[in-house]
Amino acid sequence: MPVTSYRSASCGCCKGWVQHMRANGFAVRDVVVADVAVIKRRLGVPARLASCHTAEVAGFALEGHVPAADVKRLLQKRPPLAGLALPGMPLGSPGMESAYGKEAFTVMAFTRTGAISSFSQHAK
Amino acid sequence: MTTPLRRRQVLGLGLAGLGTAVVGPLLWDRLQRSAARAQPAGAARLASRGGVADLELVAQATRGSLPGGPAELLTYNGRSPGPLLEVNAGDRVRLRLRNELRQPTNLHFHGLHIPPTGTADNVFLSVPPGGSFDYEFTLAKDHPAGLFYVHPHQHGLSADQVFGGLSSALVVRGDLDRIPEVAAAKETVLVLKDFASASGQEAAMGVGRMLGREGPLLTVNGAINPGLAIPSGGLLRLRLLNASNARMYRLALEGHSLVLIATDGGAIATPEPLDELLLAPGERADVLVQGNQTPGSYRLLNLPYQRSGHMGMAAAEDAPRTLATLSYAGTVPPLPLPKALIPVPALPKPERTRRFVMAHAMGTGMGGMKHDMGAMGGGGMAMGGMGMGFQINGQAFEPDRIDTRVALGSTEDWLIVNDDVMDHPFHLHVNPFQVISRAGRPESQRRWKDTVLVKAGEEVRIRVTFRDFPGRTVYHCHNLDHEDLGLMGVLQIE
Repeated sequence: MPVTSYRSASCGCCKGWVQHMRANGFAVRDVVVADVAVIKRRLGVPARLASCHTAEVAGFALEGHVPAADVKRLLQKRPPLAGLALPGMPLGSPGMESAYGKEAFTVMAFTRTGAISSFSQHAK
Repeated sequence: MTTPLRRRQVLGLGLAGLGTAVVGPLLWDRLQRSAARAQPAGAARLASRGGVADLELVAQATRGSLPGGPAELLTYNGRSPGPLLEVNAGDRVRLRLRNELRQPTNLHFHGLHIPPTGTADNVFLSVPPGGSFDYEFTLAKDHPAGLFYVHPHQHGLSADQVFGGLSSALVVRGDLDRIPEVAAAKETVLVLKDFASASGQEAAMGVGRMLGREGPLLTVNGAINPGLAIPSGGLLRLRLLNASNARMYRLALEGHSLVLIATDGGAIATPEPLDELLLAPGERADVLVQGNQTPGSYRLLNLPYQRSGHMGMAAAEDAPRTLATLSYAGTVPPLPLPKALIPVPALPKPERTRRFVMAHAMGTGMGGMKHDMGAMGGGGMAMGGMGMGFQINGQAFEPDRIDTRVALGSTEDWLIVNDDVMDHPFHLHVNPFQVISRAGRPESQRRWKDTVLVKAGEEVRIRVTFRDFPGRTVYHCHNLDHEDLGLMGVLQIE
């Protein structure tokens, strides 16, 4: 399934997520843009769910370091959502692996109208 | 060595409201203390007498509650913020730190110009649980007057401990306090500190360690929206300390200018009226407020601030929040503002320029942490080393590696480059610096600083003379989660 990922040149973690997605069978186009915010607005990512990079797959937005397993579940079920978001840059999420530790995180789902709900919980 | 605590009384909290105390007066734990100590247990203020400051701080976990449920807060002497410490230039300072935490801790005397070695501002020492350490140093007779900051600097735990509540403001009395118009002002120290909610859910919603943890509960001296009083015609000297882990404060007082008279390292030359004042973690400022408006109530506001460049991350709040409320009470003959303060001399021409580039990245070094790499897992480990963290010039903090060697007495320009997607407040220990330019624009006025905000994608040029004290110290990001995640370097002054 083709994924297009948009990131700024200076961000030090977005490439790690692209590698994670490729390792999980996604064909990822890695695009460097001057202003990621333009992409976020176009895809309707709520500001409070923002992370560093933003991607598109099959008409869904993927914000931040969303695990590939969550993306696969999204594509299987095709729920009426605008996309998934992992806000911020949690340590231990895909592309954010660190010897400094791991953080629990929640992948959020959002709709075209901006309704937000929990999609999956990931323990430490 | 240590004395067991007797926790007789820790009161719960009400919900937010005008003047609701959160952690200050309510969290007080009666300590069983040795009779040799002159200061009463749990005092809000500890001061020097006769040229000697004999102080004690007990770091401890204290049960209390926050809106949403019970919480364990970290306190000095049962308080968060800890007691206000007040000393004079020229004093001998003896400060016993007793560690009643379950983890090691230590102290950093943020902003003081004292040795980085021995029993002074030595952040490389560590006080184990149950242990104690006697810090001891003398402040120079000409040490600038100012508001300084005592907090833990235990690498890997600094953010947890400061975010948990450990901090004390330290006032050094001296030159600035003798200016008549300043001396006539009514003085209030305001420690600005956010706390996590009892559930801690905000971290799971993205404002975690990589961005630096913020809490939704804003307190001033441990209270939610405390009242401040000013007489009509009067002058109020607000002494502001950002003791938060990562939160920025963009301050404005309704209807009033904030007249800046001092920055981190002491007085500026000429008072400077400001509509708003931005304080990064670790920064301080003294401002004068004139009671020259229609008597009434005016809110001290924290205006929204975006600290992650253009990306929308960490946009925790999109509306102003009230920190405190200023109310008019009584009338006095109008007090004037000072016309001039204390000259800030230009530093000598720099002998060299160094460049420090801050960013987050997958690291290759060990970063001073001896973790089991097997615990990391995941595809990112193909890159080896520490995995994700923060770096200066491509290297994460390593306590045994000297990154920068400077000559005692020399002057240097440091170009601090933020090549990251989020802001980094840069802090240098022991020697104050002057900001020469930000993003290529020269500064309007010389000021003594020890912490300067370097916004995402920007560059700041600072100038510093390494005076008086040889030894090993550090420079780092004062978003303390970033410091703990590697954004720190070791400086050897020799």
